[in-house]
Amino acid sequence: MRTHSIAQRLIAAVVVSQLLLAIGLFFVTVYFTHRQLLAAFDTELEGRAMSIAALVHYSEEEHPTLEFQQDMVPPSLERGHADLYQVFDQNGKAIAQSNKWPSLSLPPAARAAYANFEWNGESYRALRLKSVPVLDREAGTPASDFLTVTYASPTSPVIRTVARLRLYIAGGCVLLLCVTVPLAIWGLRRGLRPLEDLAANAALISTSNWELNPGAEAMATRELLSLTQAMTSMLQGLHRAFTQQREFLANAAHELKTPVAILKSTVQSLLQRPRSSEEYRAGLEQCLEDMARLEKLLHSMLRLARAEQWAAGSLQRDLADIDLRSTCDAAVDSIRPLAHQRGVQIEVSSNGPIPVRADPEDLELVWINLLENAVRFTPPSSSVRVLVGSDPQHGVVEIADSGPGIPEHELPLIFERFHRGDASRARDTGGYGLGLSIAKAVIEAYGGTIIPKSEAGVGTRMIVSIPKQS
Amino acid sequence: MRVLIVEDERRLAENVARSLREGAGYAVDCCFNGEDGLYMAENNPYDLLILDLMIPKLDGRTLLTRLRSQAARFPVLILTARDEKESVVALLNAGADDYLCKPFDLGELMARSKALIRRGKGQTAAVLKVADIEISTADLTVRRGGKPVPLTAMEYRVLEYLAHRPGAVVSKTELLEHLYDFNWERFSNVIEVYISGLRRKLEHGDTKLIHTLRGQGYMLRA
Repeated sequence: MRTHSIAQRLIAAVVVSQLLLAIGLFFVTVYFTHRQLLAAFDTELEGRAMSIAALVHYSEEEHPTLEFQQDMVPPSLERGHADLYQVFDQNGKAIAQSNKWPSLSLPPAARAAYANFEWNGESYRALRLKSVPVLDREAGTPASDFLTVTYASPTSPVIRTVARLRLYIAGGCVLLLCVTVPLAIWGLRRGLRPLEDLAANAALISTSNWELNPGAEAMATRELLSLTQAMTSMLQGLHRAFTQQREFLANAAHELKTPVAILKSTVQSLLQRPRSSEEYRAGLEQCLEDMARLEKLLHSMLRLARAEQWAAGSLQRDLADIDLRSTCDAAVDSIRPLAHQRGVQIEVSSNGPIPVRADPEDLELVWINLLENAVRFTPPSSSVRVLVGSDPQHGVVEIADSGPGIPEHELPLIFERFHRGDASRARDTGGYGLGLSIAKAVIEAYGGTIIPKSEAGVGTRMIVSIPKQS
Repeated sequence: MRVLIVEDERRLAENVARSLREGAGYAVDCCFNGEDGLYMAENNPYDLLILDLMIPKLDGRTLLTRLRSQAARFPVLILTARDEKESVVALLNAGADDYLCKPFDLGELMARSKALIRRGKGQTAAVLKVADIEISTADLTVRRGGKPVPLTAMEYRVLEYLAHRPGAVVSKTELLEHLYDFNWERFSNVIEVYISGLRRKLEHGDTKLIHTLRGQGYMLRA
């Protein structure tokens, strides 16, 4: 996968936006200044035209005519480039005209009209004012005399100024970019440093170090706080799961050692010296028995692992609506041979069906594990009682033995994997201390509880409740 | 030599016992819980105790501490399923002499047992020598002047026990206690039979090896 850098992207975005901003600023400034200058030029043109009109006066004759004071014409706006002017009276008779005059076509209607034109290789802007009254108005002069003044001036000064201005603004923008772009890059780099620190610290996490030390800067960064918290809680979860797995593995390996040691010693002692075929046969049968025990242990461990995995939600299952009683009956049926062998009675009492949503095999396994313990600890010719009932929310199964009871301090330990209350009793019947762990894992996977109650000399009761199917 | 095995896995205990009886010629008693083990260890003179740690009623560690506090002198070999350094150190400090991790090799267990017994009796070599007699404890054979001497199993056991304590007076009762396990009927006159058999096979001419001290016992000395 192609990788990309947040820093590079952000820097690119900042540079591009600053560039766009500078370009925009440049054009806007140039446009407005240009307009501003043109407006000033036009005002100037109007002033010139008016001052030209002011040079028209009446002659000192009896029938005065309009005259023009040629010598009073102001100098051109731009040195070396002559301004052009033309004055007519209302009858269209030319009163005054600059030395040179091009043929112009200006919109005739408007009172004031501007026009641009090229003349003599020069750009000109012209203004024509109509109906300008003659200033030199005295008694006896015709009131109806109006002038039409046209004044044109080269626009090169404006164009030059605008060009110069453009250069200045562009230079300013480039200068500004030179300062702001490095500043932005530095700021971004600086701002992203806590993220890099956090990544460096996260890289230190390993199976021997589960502590994330995000560093003061990352802790003080608001944007990173949620990330840091998420990482920390994720690490805690992982650590817990990892430790659990490792403990299970260690326990399992430890528990496997004994059956393997037995199997190995059986084979080795068989091979110690030449033996008769009957002896070999007996030895091989012993090996088979040893292997059966090993197999049983492996099966139990896998069962436990699966139940816990399911409880952790990583295993999907199909569940059916079943009657709690039928699973108990099935379990009791399968435990009866053992009970019979030990001379123990099993009494079952129940009333009415209790619907639960479960896999019947799971529940049967739980009852079998609990019943096996109960039968083991119950002295011969006594009985184990199974009570199947319910409360409003739960189906409740109580399995009670009449054994010696479990000491108070051992009660919290009995569900621990590979825990054996008294190793000898468990070993006598080939237990590995996994039955109760499996029962608990399965019941908890169904959202139920399993509570042991014990009284010395009276017996132990296991009370299991699992949610009813409503 | 007589060995006590305290191990709650019956099958494992029986396999080890069989292997020690057949491969080392030891008398072996088995106990399947700590209480029985302590009782047996307190009331019988063993040459070696093989002790599992995870045993019911009285755990191996406590048993060991109790025995050592009673000044029991025989070596103790621990069988353990744990092999962490700390627990091994703690065990040795509690008075254990050696340990083996499950699943162990029976051959190794036997070799270690022999070495522990040897050391417990102040010997170092696996081949015991008295005069020109060599007793190889590794393969249970005896040579005199380099030539193999055919001995019965019981004769070998008597000789091996005496050879572990050369120059010491060993009573008939001591021999009986160390050569037979708990379930055996003991008759002291059988010892005399084995001694005379040994004398016939090992002594030539005037060289006396096994001396009888009237009313006290026997002594192996060149």
